[in-house]
Amino acid sequence: MSVSANDNSTKVSVRGFLAKYSVLIAFAAIVVFFAVASPTFLTPANLFNVLVNNVVMLAIVALGLTIVISSGGIDLSVGVSVDVASMVFVMLLAGGYSGVAGVAGGLGAALIVGILNAILITRLNISPFLATLGVLFIGQSTQQLATSGGQPIYLTSGYASDQFNAIARTALFGVPTPVIVLIVLAIAVHVLLHRSVFGRYVQAMGAQPGVAWYSGIRVPRELSMVHVLCALLAGVTGILLSATVKSYVPLSGNAFLLDAIGATFIGTTLSRERKPSVVGTLLGVLLLAIVKNGLLLVGWNFYWQQVGIGVLVFLVLAASFGLRRAAH
Amino acid sequence: MQTAKREIAVSMTGMSKRFGPVRALENANLEIARGSILGLVGQNGAGKSTIIKVLAGIVKPDSGTIVINGETVTSLTPASVEKLGVHFIHQDRLLVPTATVGEAVFLGHEIGLGPFVSRRGMERKAADLLKRFFGMELPAGTLVKDLTTAQQKVVQITRALAQKASVLVLDEPTAALVKREVDSLFDVLRRLRDDGIAVVFISHYMQEIEKLCDRVTVMRNGTDVGTVDPRQTPIDEIISMMIARDVGEMFPKRSVTLGAPVLEVANLRLGGSFENVGFNVRAGEIVGLTGLLGSGAKEIVQCLFGLKTADGGSIKVEGRELSLSTPVKAVRDGIAMLPEDRRAHGVALGLSVRENISLASLRRYSRSGMVSRGLENQAVDGLIKELSIKTPHRDALVRELSGGNQQKVALAKWLSCQSRVYVLDEPTVAVDVGAKVEIYNLLNRLAGEGAAILLLSSDLLELVGVCDRVLVVYRGRLAGSFSGPSMNSDALLAASSGARSNTDGVAA
Repeated sequence: MSVSANDNSTKVSVRGFLAKYSVLIAFAAIVVFFAVASPTFLTPANLFNVLVNNVVMLAIVALGLTIVISSGGIDLSVGVSVDVASMVFVMLLAGGYSGVAGVAGGLGAALIVGILNAILITRLNISPFLATLGVLFIGQSTQQLATSGGQPIYLTSGYASDQFNAIARTALFGVPTPVIVLIVLAIAVHVLLHRSVFGRYVQAMGAQPGVAWYSGIRVPRELSMVHVLCALLAGVTGILLSATVKSYVPLSGNAFLLDAIGATFIGTTLSRERKPSVVGTLLGVLLLAIVKNGLLLVGWNFYWQQVGIGVLVFLVLAASFGLRRAAH
Repeated sequence: MQTAKREIAVSMTGMSKRFGPVRALENANLEIARGSILGLVGQNGAGKSTIIKVLAGIVKPDSGTIVINGETVTSLTPASVEKLGVHFIHQDRLLVPTATVGEAVFLGHEIGLGPFVSRRGMERKAADLLKRFFGMELPAGTLVKDLTTAQQKVVQITRALAQKASVLVLDEPTAALVKREVDSLFDVLRRLRDDGIAVVFISHYMQEIEKLCDRVTVMRNGTDVGTVDPRQTPIDEIISMMIARDVGEMFPKRSVTLGAPVLEVANLRLGGSFENVGFNVRAGEIVGLTGLLGSGAKEIVQCLFGLKTADGGSIKVEGRELSLSTPVKAVRDGIAMLPEDRRAHGVALGLSVRENISLASLRRYSRSGMVSRGLENQAVDGLIKELSIKTPHRDALVRELSGGNQQKVALAKWLSCQSRVYVLDEPTVAVDVGAKVEIYNLLNRLAGEGAAILLLSSDLLELVGVCDRVLVVYRGRLAGSFSGPSMNSDALLAASSGARSNTDGVAA
């Protein structure tokens, strides 16, 4: 009698453990798989490449989305923020302005996108989904109009961009500079979201907006801040992107949108209440980046990579939610 | 003689149900006869709603036998009960607001071919039914949200009739209706009775029971204490059957010396809702506010918390004039609000007890924008203990708590703010008896500590039991102020429905 009861509780707790750490387990399994399947996977050069090219920029966009999704909203216009920051940054540098002016201009452009979203959502009471979708359409057309149909702008040598390109490719104490930027931002967002008064308000708005309003929280103001922060973080990615590829390619920011949303939701499996968290989002980004890189090394072509990622997302979410339901 | 002929539609015997330590039902019986209207009365928590929920298949009884139309049923679900012809009109409207009347009447039983719904057919048939049963004519395609509460009740009843209901249970159907609507609802119910349908009518209003019902079953402490003919039994006798439990225990007595006015409202006006509303609430005072739906009582409370902005008049707290345009300002100015819809506005179910309690007062527990978990934990633990909130630990989700304890968390949030004025909107709805008494005790203690409390409630017994003074709103005006011996539920009810007014205390 007591033995079977014991058995049961062990089974339940094992399931609970698997559910809780399904992302970590998937992560470990995938690393082991690719390490065996491809000799180059675990080499420092490859890992450096994955981190700098596949992780950092996506992760910074995903940090912004983590804030927005925590507040119960969504930002479909992060790609536009990436693009406009990149565009203004490259245009200023190409026009002979200093790097500082370029960064300030790029972030300023992203800020405008964030403020536009905030106005649409908090003043005109448009749902975040529709407001940011509208901004996405407008932002895409604006870029095409500004670049005569989508012509890239390249930075030739001699501009301040050389310094940026150098920074993007150097390392501090063996850690690539972009990775350091990510770590600093991730810690900042983590503290903001999980330790600050603002973060608590964001969680409350996400959990039950009516309760936040009835508790005297300035919901419109906090929500505006949420969207501005998200746009600014995407702007940082836009600048890093231009510095790395020494150009602005219109509409390239959209590539981050779905991956960033996917990574954030994969990250929610870490929490029992399925809340987004910085740690979860970073794990989600790493998981996606490693799968992409690994499939490439194993020789899958681009289209099959997408299939692989889709299947992976299903598996992680299904395992987490299914096992959790079974555990309760 | 007559009893022998009565056909029994539903008989419930020996029903018992426990919720944790609370005995909601204990060996309760209920017999519903065809072609008659049975009243079901009892204080809040007497077990009326539990026994109805058991019959509706929402609550599973611990023991007891249920026989419906001569058939013993074992496990009831809301769907299987409807199939047996037993239909419920619940107190809170359960219609889809954006549906048309036709869609609402045939919800779950749509008319059409295969997967295709014939919206026009449903509209036409619904219109037929409404006209035939109630002589009600509505433009085709009218949306549920555009109906009055009374019309929505009628649509719900029509939905039941469309599915050949043989038993119709109405839970406080008149709570939100004005006199004229009540009369026409009663006509409808009498007509249904004459057609042989068994009607169960749950109400707090004795006059309605007396007017409408053929028999009335009185419940107390989870069991039925008797079934009588309300036309031959004086109301006082029925009430004493209901209240044999010690009322002093339900509504704890207190003695407080009142201080200076804390909340002063003068000439408050909101277009279309109320006008010329003025009253004071003094430190240590619990003032009740009541009125039927649409009377403006609710809107007065909303203006006091900045949920609606008054068109004119003044609101002062401790002598300071406030301009309340948002809850943000109200909270900053020391006004606390316990909203009626606890789950939408009171507590965030997905957040922890700790996060809920500190939500409105986080600035107190933070240093330069960062929450100090030490300060927060200390304050939260103190309040959990002070209000004896039953929670496994401070980080448990509020979702996991009982309704009463959730309400205590909502109250703790404002204690943490040290608010001066507490505005409570139906604080004991859907809260069990034990927790109710605890909430009353808390209100008394808050008042004892000098808070000013305004209690909006439609539970007249609660108002009489808890308040020092009760203000009644009728058609957008204060129709009476009752205290001392004049404060009894009959007087409040009369003033609410405009039958009687008592103006001597209004100026206070």
